[in-house]
Amino acid sequence: MNDPKDIDHVHLDEQAQSLVPLIAGASTFHDEGDTETATKRRLGIGFWIAIGWIATIVTAAVLAPWLPIKDPDANLIQPGERPPYSPSSEFWFGSDQDARDMFSRTIWGARISLTVGFVAIAFGMVVGGSMGMMAGYFRRRWDSVVSFIFLVLLSFPALILAILITSLMDRTLFTISFVLGVLSVAPVGRVARATTISFADREFVLAAKSLGAKHPRIIVRELLPNVVIPMAALALLGMAIAIVAEGSLAFLGLSVEKGATWGKLILTGAGTRSLEDAPWISMAPIIVLFLTVLALNFAGDRLRDYFDVKETAL
Amino acid sequence: MRYWLTRLGTSVLLLLTVSALAFGAMNILGDPLFNILGPVALDVDNPESVELIQAAEEQYNLDDPLPIRWALWLGDFVTGDFGVQFSEDGEPPVRDLISERLPRTLQLLVMAQVLAALIAIPWALWTASRPNSKVDRASTITSFLFIAIPSFALAVMLKWALSIKLSIFPLAYVTNDTFWERSFQMLLPAITLALPAAAIYQRLLRTDLITTLQEDFILTARSKGVSRRSVLFKHALRSSLFSFVTIFAINTGALIGGALVVEQIFLIPGLGRAIVEAILREDFPVVLAIVMIIAFAFVILNLIVDLIYSLIDPRVRSS
Repeated sequence: MNDPKDIDHVHLDEQAQSLVPLIAGASTFHDEGDTETATKRRLGIGFWIAIGWIATIVTAAVLAPWLPIKDPDANLIQPGERPPYSPSSEFWFGSDQDARDMFSRTIWGARISLTVGFVAIAFGMVVGGSMGMMAGYFRRRWDSVVSFIFLVLLSFPALILAILITSLMDRTLFTISFVLGVLSVAPVGRVARATTISFADREFVLAAKSLGAKHPRIIVRELLPNVVIPMAALALLGMAIAIVAEGSLAFLGLSVEKGATWGKLILTGAGTRSLEDAPWISMAPIIVLFLTVLALNFAGDRLRDYFDVKETAL
Repeated sequence: MRYWLTRLGTSVLLLLTVSALAFGAMNILGDPLFNILGPVALDVDNPESVELIQAAEEQYNLDDPLPIRWALWLGDFVTGDFGVQFSEDGEPPVRDLISERLPRTLQLLVMAQVLAALIAIPWALWTASRPNSKVDRASTITSFLFIAIPSFALAVMLKWALSIKLSIFPLAYVTNDTFWERSFQMLLPAITLALPAAAIYQRLLRTDLITTLQEDFILTARSKGVSRRSVLFKHALRSSLFSFVTIFAINTGALIGGALVVEQIFLIPGLGRAIVEAILREDFPVVLAIVMIIAFAFVILNLIVDLIYSLIDPRVRSS
């Protein structure tokens, strides 16, 4: 940069850029990048609010059996009144037609919905992530085999696979999570593969190789830390998708059979009669589900911007 | 040409795989004989039941090995014979059931996509012409909310607010009403599907428009004295429409899933209701037929997307 010619260049570029908006008409066609690069390296307050909400809901779900909330399955009939009860200091989110407390049902529903979301994306991360990393690191035959598997999985309409398997099997927490997990293998794996490829030829990997490090060590110690961070952003988005998928399956009558999930809670309150008499039955879980999905999406988005992951790299 | 032949070949292969998997899974994981006859199928000691079982096996080719049954089924299926329903005495045949239900789902999808495009294009033009303004920032938040909200949640909220509280839209879908009445009854479900789709289209089209607006040919047009409005509509929008059409086609696949769910909430007797009813009754020929129709729709959509891609970028064909 000490070369005077370079400085001239910089000046020229700046001039050229300042001309563009002048010609294009006032400040209409602004370059978007300006403000975004300025905020890129900060996660922002919104991110921490989103993480705070996720932490709260996860804690509530985990601690549900020990929290001082009502039994989600108890019929708490109030003497002299007919259920459903509207939200009050007694029933924070109201009650359903069987006088069951919606607040505690929503928290207990979070246990299953969040488990489905978490197990599904964890499965996708472990299976898809390791397949993608192996393909990206070893290339050659591994890569073509794994890429083909991903292609087949991606060209299979996800919805059809979900309907098909869940309609034929016992709908336990395990099968639903497993089906959604299998569906997340290919999208997750592709990102893992692309990210690995972008790091596999870098100097620090070469350095590790020339120091005599074996493949497992290079993958775990050199590549994994670099792949894990962008994958974390993807995991948050994927968890949101899995939670929504559980809800959609619930509306097709294909969700977890035992216990309350958010999807099933919304379904029970979604009938015309319920909506007329007691909209809170469906609105309470909808609001909690929506906030959770929104928080996961937002946190994932921010994290992705922060680490600047390119989805379609390679 | 060779590209298209391979492309067509893979599509057919994919459909065959889907059908084999679906058919195999239903016959191995399910019990077709039990689904047809009910408890009688288990009563093998009773000669009357045995007769019924043998008749059923004869009728549905259940005594053949699985691959042959699949081939027989496939042969019937591609010639338009979708078989009979297992339950309710097999009436109406699956084909009639599908041809009654499919047009409703199709109409819902078409209405949703038309509405989405009608919302998204002006919205994108409006925000792209003033990026980073207050309006643009508000619209970014709005579109983010619409993209994040699950279709079933939006459906329940809209049904409650617009149909029940404000009574703007009818609550029921009446199959005997005239076409226009039924279209009106389908409007709210279509809006439910259209809003998130419009948000996706808007975001993509807006980014594309902003990029296009920084191209040299726009600058040339502007410096020649073409008005901002004219540049936006004639020059920028036209070149951005290609990517819009692509995402439009891709997103149709996602909308099919949404339509199945939204049908449940607004009680529209389309394919979504049909598949749920069939799953409850374990009526596998119906499930199988619907699964194949949706898989077929996905394949066709993918072909269309590829066709558009290759029109924009001829390099795709040679790779």
